[in-house]
Amino acid sequence: MPPRTRTRTRARGLSAFSIVAFIAAVVLLALFPKFVENPYAVHLMVTFFLAVIMGEAWNLIGGYGGQYSVGHAAYFGIGAYTVLVLLQTNGVAPWWGLLPALALALGVAAIVGSITFRLRGPYFVLASIAVAEIFRLVALNWKSATNGAEGILLSGVPPIVIGGTEIVNFSSKVPFYYMGLALAVLTVLVTVWFQGSKLGYYLQAIREDQDAANSLGIPLTFYKNIALMISAFFTAWAGALYGLYVGFIDPQTAVGLDISVQIVLTAIIGGIGTVFGPVVGAAILVALSEALRSNAITDLLVAGGLVSETSSIGIFLKDHLSHAHMLIYGFLVAIVILFMPDGVLGAVNNAARRRRARAAAGGAR
Amino acid sequence: MTIFLQSLLSGILIGGAYALIGVGLTIIFGVMRIINFAHGDLVMLGMYASYFLFTLGNVDPFVSIVFVFPLLFLFGAILQKTVINRVLNALPQNQILLTIGIGLILSNTMMLLFTSDYRIISTSYSSGSFRLGEISVSTPLLLSFGITGLVTAILYWFLLKTDTGQAIRATAQDRDAAQLMGVNVKRMSVLATGLGAGLAAVAGALISPTYYIFPQVGQPFTLKAFVIVVLGGMGSVMGATVGGIIIGATESLAGAYISSGLKDLVVYVLFLLILLFKPAGLFGKSRV
Repeated sequence: MPPRTRTRTRARGLSAFSIVAFIAAVVLLALFPKFVENPYAVHLMVTFFLAVIMGEAWNLIGGYGGQYSVGHAAYFGIGAYTVLVLLQTNGVAPWWGLLPALALALGVAAIVGSITFRLRGPYFVLASIAVAEIFRLVALNWKSATNGAEGILLSGVPPIVIGGTEIVNFSSKVPFYYMGLALAVLTVLVTVWFQGSKLGYYLQAIREDQDAANSLGIPLTFYKNIALMISAFFTAWAGALYGLYVGFIDPQTAVGLDISVQIVLTAIIGGIGTVFGPVVGAAILVALSEALRSNAITDLLVAGGLVSETSSIGIFLKDHLSHAHMLIYGFLVAIVILFMPDGVLGAVNNAARRRRARAAAGGAR
Repeated sequence: MTIFLQSLLSGILIGGAYALIGVGLTIIFGVMRIINFAHGDLVMLGMYASYFLFTLGNVDPFVSIVFVFPLLFLFGAILQKTVINRVLNALPQNQILLTIGIGLILSNTMMLLFTSDYRIISTSYSSGSFRLGEISVSTPLLLSFGITGLVTAILYWFLLKTDTGQAIRATAQDRDAAQLMGVNVKRMSVLATGLGAGLAAVAGALISPTYYIFPQVGQPFTLKAFVIVVLGGMGSVMGATVGGIIIGATESLAGAYISSGLKDLVVYVLFLLILLFKPAGLFGKSRV
């Protein structure tokens, strides 16, 4: 079987340029809230970080391992619900509540993995969806703990106090910004490590050909399970951060199928099985859905003279397009699958490689 | 005992419509080896088509199927020719993601056009029922079950007795061999998708008098259709028919004896158990 893409099979590790660019980007992002005080901009960045964390986490098992879980909402929900239930009903501070949340995600991933990884291809996808739906139904029906369909509305996140002095106050978005940034950087670093590790190589071998990998003595289920557990760990962490940041969760927004689909899309659109694919995907998705929500696209059409603001079409777009971000996700995934199966980053890399190859051929002549 | 018989009967009646949805999914899978994640959204389109025929044209939902079927058949055929055909040889994961994308486009387009308001079709018989001894039988469900039986009979005749039907079955059995025997497999793929979409829509139209109609109504049907098809055996029409009835009955009994909120949960757990212990289903060959 020929290698599917060159992007996924080239030498591991990052180029010097990527490392410098990454460090520069992290430094700039760390300074960002010092210069930009606009809460909307900070909010957008937190949303972006959350998408990066989930995309990178899914990428470990889905991108490198080729195990397309469309049920990661289960781990996202476990993170969000555990922390928020413990905080709201038992008064457990979130940084303590995070520990059982992450432990629970690890345990559930181990159990779910050992059941569903015996299945392959579409059967695995179906099983992963069924598992997430089971968790959603539990969240919906276990009313005494989760408050059912009404969801949980946080009355506030307590400040971190050490020795009587307040260290972090969660009344602004900035602490969430730094937590999101730190976790996003951590998941990128974990992906870099994963890509070059024995575990990462095993997973890629499994992705390319399960039976060949098995015949070489790689225990399939074991390594898939480890990757899924790491993936679930960070997804649950993102879920906890999301719950605390937004302050409200219900079964649909924390464990719904839409969450699973968005997580997969983030990785697919950017380019699966690459370190920065999910980052690119997250940037595209967050920018697009915010453009829709804020009616920027309609405004653009109006400004461009394509649609009159007072015409019936203009009014219709203003009223409806802001709710239509899932529609755009649908079109995005269809376009990416049909025309850019390696994702946006893959398409850009391929184009760059073709240009270099042409230039090299021209130089040789 | 009355409760048992009562829920068994209503389960079987609703299972008829489930069977049609499952049969559509299994035909598409059989011919193209693609799992259609937009299948429930095709059911949703059938419900809307029936709704608008009823409110605008005063067409009875049960009569509307003669319009809904060709309409959605055409839609499915066009969808296959323009989009799905391009991923026939792609990775199964990419095929799944594409159909998930199609499903998102369908449900959100409907939301954009018609808002997410719940709609109902109130016919003279919508809430009608009659008693059979201790058991009450819902008139619309019984009618829809009867029509489901008729549609299934026509479908079996088509698949078993006509040349086109046999060509579809041959393609499902072995695509390459069918092609060597002179079957136009590309045409069969278009036909199968049209047929699958049409059947899903007919099921949607048949249940439209008893369900709320809204853009997101399809999603649970997609999942249920998978359970049915896996239970019956992927690609087996007979299996999907039986599977639909079994799932309908299971759901209804779980609703009566456990809790109505948890009936779907029972179905998903059953699904996982089948995948693990009898992945070939009741009537299929294992492809796991």
